[in-house]
Amino acid sequence: MKQSRLRATLTDPHLWIPLVVLTFGIGLLAALA
Amino acid sequence: MSEGAPSKSILSLHAVGVVSGIAAGAWLGSAEAPTKLVTMGFSPFLISLGMVMGVFVARWTIPVAIKGTSYIWADLREKPHLIVWGIIAGMLWAVANTLTVFAIRNVGLSVAFPLWNLNSLVGMFWGWLLFNELRGSGSRQRLVVLGGAAAIVIGACLLAYSTTNHESIVQREAATLGVFAAVGAGLLWGTMYIPYRKAYISGMNPLSFVTVFTVGELATVFALAAVFDGGVSNVFHSLEQAKPVLFWLFFGGFCWVIGDLFQQYAAKYIGISRGIPLSNTNQLWGLAWGALVFGELAHMTGSHVFIVGGSLIMIAGAVAISFAEAPADEQRQWQLAMERECARYGLDRGRIAAAVMGSESSPGPRSSRHWWELLIVAAAVAVFVWLGMLAERPRIEIDMGWLLAIVVASLAALAGAVFVLWKRTRFA
Repeated sequence: MKQSRLRATLTDPHLWIPLVVLTFGIGLLAALA
Repeated sequence: MSEGAPSKSILSLHAVGVVSGIAAGAWLGSAEAPTKLVTMGFSPFLISLGMVMGVFVARWTIPVAIKGTSYIWADLREKPHLIVWGIIAGMLWAVANTLTVFAIRNVGLSVAFPLWNLNSLVGMFWGWLLFNELRGSGSRQRLVVLGGAAAIVIGACLLAYSTTNHESIVQREAATLGVFAAVGAGLLWGTMYIPYRKAYISGMNPLSFVTVFTVGELATVFALAAVFDGGVSNVFHSLEQAKPVLFWLFFGGFCWVIGDLFQQYAAKYIGISRGIPLSNTNQLWGLAWGALVFGELAHMTGSHVFIVGGSLIMIAGAVAISFAEAPADEQRQWQLAMERECARYGLDRGRIAAAVMGSESSPGPRSSRHWWELLIVAAAVAVFVWLGMLAERPRIEIDMGWLLAIVVASLAALAGAVFVLWKRTRFA
């Protein structure tokens, strides 16, 4: 992947929403397991 | 128009999206039947892993069969940043799916199902916030879509209430955790539509997207099983023990892939706000399988009014959304979201705009086929045949008449969606 696209991906403000929700989901699973 | 190019004279993209959404509902609903195996003593992680292994096999096979490896590879190379989004979406799906297995175990399918189906409202919110969906449309149009989605949720709640065994004793703590698991799954699945929409307003083909998606999906489910279920060796040992039921999990995964592919096309052509509520009519199909084929509601009395009422409300919601085509002002808002992605990631606006409108965007050799594609398809078929030979038929009473009727209806939905997608977009 081009450096600029990588930077654009990592700085995309939308990216943090799924990452935060994913972390929450894994935490919930840990509590249930 | 070049040879093999899609015909655009009759079918609107809205119609393509609606038909895809309805077919998604049929096949996603049919895929729920294998979750009944949760009661057979296998861990939720193993059930999830078994299903995702089937999903993985199907997700690599169907895109290869339809478009070929050259096409998929060219599409991915053109938008490599979406690989990250595809893997995150797969991870979200995997965690959500495992949560649903816990939810079913703790509160039963009939309570868990409508709770995680709230994902459509979560998806609508993200669609509005991030992708300009429902913006620019008149208040009446917005009301129809929101009302339709609300009707589908209300119908789902009614169906859940009427199909729950109220006499069953469920431990309160376990039930609370089950509800949390189901709501959590809804949140994760609703958020998963962010990568979906992100990919499609960037012109990616759904068939390419799911090929990456499934890598994140399988890796996450395997990791979850290894971490929470006693290590890697225990996972392989459990899979060995589960061989007699793996076929059913694989088969459920296969049906799920078909439904999900149509859901992806619905999200591409009519957006999250309209596509996801339509595909969430899968509960109707799940109910039909449970009530008519497996006779699950035979012991219940007095619930039929709620079942019929809930189903009719859900169908009314789906019909309302089906007729709520995005007006020109809203489509301009969608275009602004697309242009934002093009600017951020340096994409060719003209090519992406064409792809969003259902034309091919991949620059690669579109029709070249390779011998190994046949090998991939043959290997997948061989896996299913092998597991089928090992399979034990679950001891469940089945109404063969209804089974045949629902299979025919599901195949009709499949044929209809394949026809319109091919006719209008050539599976673009």
